Amino acid sequence: MRIHKKKPTAMRFLYFFLAAFALMATLAHAASLRVQVVDQAGAPVQDAIVYAVPVSGKPPATKPLPAVIDQIKRRFVPMVSAVQTGASVTFPNKDNIEHDVYSFSPAKRFELNLYHGIPANPVIFDKPGLVVMGCNIHDTMVAYLLIVDTPYFAKTDANGAATIGNLPVDAYKVVTWHFRLTDPNAQPTQKIAVNADSAAKFELQLKAAE
Amino acid sequence: MLLHSLRARIALVFVVLMLVAQAAAYLVINSVIVKNAHRGAEEQLTVAERVFGQVLRGNSEQLTQAASVAAADYGFRQAVATHDSKTVVSALENHGDRIHADIVMLVDLDGKLIADSHDAGHEGSEFPFPNLIRTVARKGDASSFGMIGGRAYQLVAVPVKAPITIAWVVMGFVIDDALAREMSTLTSLDVSFLTFDGDGNRGVLASSLPEVQRASLSDQGPLADAGFVTRVVRLHSEGRTVAVLLERSLNEALEPYRRLQSALLLITILGVIVSAIGSVLTARSVTRPIAALAQFSKRIGQGDYAEPIEIRQHDEIGQLAQAFNQMQEGIQEREHRITELAYMDRLTGLPNRALFSDRLQQAIASAQRGDTPLAVMMMDLDRFKYVNDTLGHPIGDMLLCEVAQRLRSVLQRQTDTVARLGGDEFAVLLPADDLDGACLIATRMLRALEQPIMIEGQLVDVGASIGIVTFPDNGTDMNVLLRRADIAMYVAKRSNLGFALYDEKHDQNSAERLSLMSELRQAVEHDQLTLYYQPKVDLATHRVKYVEALVRWDHPTRGFVAPDQFIPFAEQTGYIKAISRWVADKAIAQCAEWHAHGIDLAVSVNVSARELIQSTLPETFQALLDKHDVAPERIWIEITESAIMDDPNHAIETLDRLHAMGIRLSIDDFGTGYSSLSYLKRMPVDELKIDKSFVIGMTHHKDDETIVRSTIDLGHNMGLKVVAEGVEDEALMQRLKALRCDLAQGYHLSRPLPPAKLELWLKGWEVQRTLTPAHAEPDRRPIPDGSQGVLSFQGSS
Repeated sequence: MRIHKKKPTAMRFLYFFLAAFALMATLAHAASLRVQVVDQAGAPVQDAIVYAVPVSGKPPATKPLPAVIDQIKRRFVPMVSAVQTGASVTFPNKDNIEHDVYSFSPAKRFELNLYHGIPANPVIFDKPGLVVMGCNIHDTMVAYLLIVDTPYFAKTDANGAATIGNLPVDAYKVVTWHFRLTDPNAQPTQKIAVNADSAAKFELQLKAAE
Repeated sequence: MLLHSLRARIALVFVVLMLVAQAAAYLVINSVIVKNAHRGAEEQLTVAERVFGQVLRGNSEQLTQAASVAAADYGFRQAVATHDSKTVVSALENHGDRIHADIVMLVDLDGKLIADSHDAGHEGSEFPFPNLIRTVARKGDASSFGMIGGRAYQLVAVPVKAPITIAWVVMGFVIDDALAREMSTLTSLDVSFLTFDGDGNRGVLASSLPEVQRASLSDQGPLADAGFVTRVVRLHSEGRTVAVLLERSLNEALEPYRRLQSALLLITILGVIVSAIGSVLTARSVTRPIAALAQFSKRIGQGDYAEPIEIRQHDEIGQLAQAFNQMQEGIQEREHRITELAYMDRLTGLPNRALFSDRLQQAIASAQRGDTPLAVMMMDLDRFKYVNDTLGHPIGDMLLCEVAQRLRSVLQRQTDTVARLGGDEFAVLLPADDLDGACLIATRMLRALEQPIMIEGQLVDVGASIGIVTFPDNGTDMNVLLRRADIAMYVAKRSNLGFALYDEKHDQNSAERLSLMSELRQAVEHDQLTLYYQPKVDLATHRVKYVEALVRWDHPTRGFVAPDQFIPFAEQTGYIKAISRWVADKAIAQCAEWHAHGIDLAVSVNVSARELIQSTLPETFQALLDKHDVAPERIWIEITESAIMDDPNHAIETLDRLHAMGIRLSIDDFGTGYSSLSYLKRMPVDELKIDKSFVIGMTHHKDDETIVRSTIDLGHNMGLKVVAEGVEDEALMQRLKALRCDLAQGYHLSRPLPPAKLELWLKGWEVQRTLTPAHAEPDRRPIPDGSQGVLSFQGSS
């Protein structure tokens, strides 16, 4: 996933700095972190978001990449997504019926009233956190969007593996999140110093799937 | 007692049987009814319980539905998600009101109360029903019962999905009386919601029961009265136990059966009454004829054979009645025959004594009423005994038959009765004849019997003696008449008259005499009897050395009663013993007294035949001699010939004993009785007394003198003294003296005198004797004794 960054004038310096860093990073060693997520039974966990935040706490000032969450056949696709804070997300309705997308999550409260096709304006998620979305007229439709303060995130696949690429060498707090975490407030974190291509493993306590 | 009557018993058996049957049926049916009612009630309760469960479930489903709808409302979800507590509460209230929830609560995912429409202020506290939350979290919805603030609520929990569950909304519907009543109506049971605390105490939350019963429910007593069937259903509840009490009144359940029961009871009672009546009637139809038969039997028993019993039935009772009738006829016939036998003399075919008595009694009664004459005759055959003894009894019987035949031929009138009383005794009743008529008939009867009777070739000659009495002249009592007829008959027989009429003077046993008997007793006890003494003069020396004691009765009203009036009578009754004892006692006492006064007299006492055979006579005399201290030689006992001849052996035995004692004996009335000279020589007698009839007859009859002379010689030759009784004049005395008789006794010398007078006489006699020379005629004038009624004595008795 490519991260799109904004270009505010105030942040130009930061942008330059970050670009320099990025160059430096790329010039330097840009590693990738491969994370394996399993649950308490040892089974691979799909759709877990893994994100790395530098230990120093300052995420690079990259432009958040936009995301798309489709509504296909009365389902949000993808069900789980992650964006960087400030990313804009569009919700194209690829069904022939209208959907009414909403969320009451504190990170972003919004409602896209019943619509066909692509809403005019994308929704910008400018606060980190979890946004749970649903369709007002289709109770079964659920989507999870995790907004993180870092461009370094990935989603595990069916094997429970996710790779965060282009990671500058640094020490990172790697956090994993899954929507079925037993304790929704838990933040399983591991401090990983990424020097070269690293791997990490997370074991999550997950609720049973419904 | 009631139970002795057959009718009562039959009726009772019937009634009791019916009663038992009916009662058994009633009890069985009744118990079945009650059991059915119970079972019905129980079943109803079971069904109602299920219905109730279903209703509760339905109710909770409905509530859950409503709550789900409320919770899915977008606005509500939005309100909840914004976490504005006031907004949330208002939304809760609003949506709660929509579905008439009484309480709405919001619980977060941690189980903490977020908002409570009912009672603000404890947000953040633990939600009191965590199980509910767990269930709804697991199952998607949950319902339960719980107590909040002292009231019970039906709670439903549903998730608030936005889109995933962000909270739980719990809606509570209060359990109140309205609900209970609604449930009650639905299930037809009485519904009460109860709560049980930890100690088991129960409280009533709501009830469809009326106040009274609800109050009793809250006391910790039994759940319900006996007339109720109950179920307690525990409701799924959290916290304090909430339960439902379902009640069904048995009375209500039994209500329809009540009618059945009362109908059954009525039928039973009617059945009993009908059976009672029926059984009484049946019993009566059986026992009435039986009672009639019993009555009939009683009549027969009493001798009433008149009417046969009338029973129209043709059954066994009818047969019994017929048998009874036959029995009656048979009895009647037999009784007739028996009567005949009873009243008939077997041999002659004449009426017997019993029948004669009956007829006589009737005749007397009718003669009394009608004042008509009546005659009774007693007839005795003469010499019949002779015929019987010589020719034998069979001949005698035939003779009697012939006699009867002849008598019957004489007495042909219907009203006259000739009866055979027994032996050769016949009686005749002439209810229409007076004395003359009777005599006529008697004559005819005798004439009829004059002809000799031919029996088996033997010519038998019998005569008869008839005694005739008439009513009322000869008596009014049947027995009296018969007795007097008998007496008259004996008179006729003795005098050979053929027939004789009754004359009182023949009757020794008049009624007067009977009263005399009791008076005699009195006389002895009250000393009305006295002893007079008649002296016996020695014809040679003219001395008086012996006196005879003679008893005399001084009756207060009759005056003097002659000894021959009562002595024979006393002899017959045995009372003579008492009299003799008295006489002996008195005589011996007198003898002792005289002896004490220097008067030397021996006293002789008369003893009767009876006493002679009585073996205690010697002892009696001995006792008396001892009592008065008299020497036995001073006492003489005079006995008549016939007295000895009655039972010579015994008599001689007694005489021997008396003689052995020293008492001297003399034979009285010698020559008049059936004397046996062979006995005479055996008897220890000392003296003979010639009966006065010979002595007096000496005057005019040579034969009497011969007898006297012979007797004197006989006596002397046997060594006995001879006394002549009845010396009434001087000539006799001289004559007797000439015949060498030893002693003389009689009026010429002295009448019997009382002791005092006798003493006087003795003195006079002594004077005379000494004054007058032996061969000269002494002045034998008896000294008037001045006593009265002397004429009644005739010397010795």
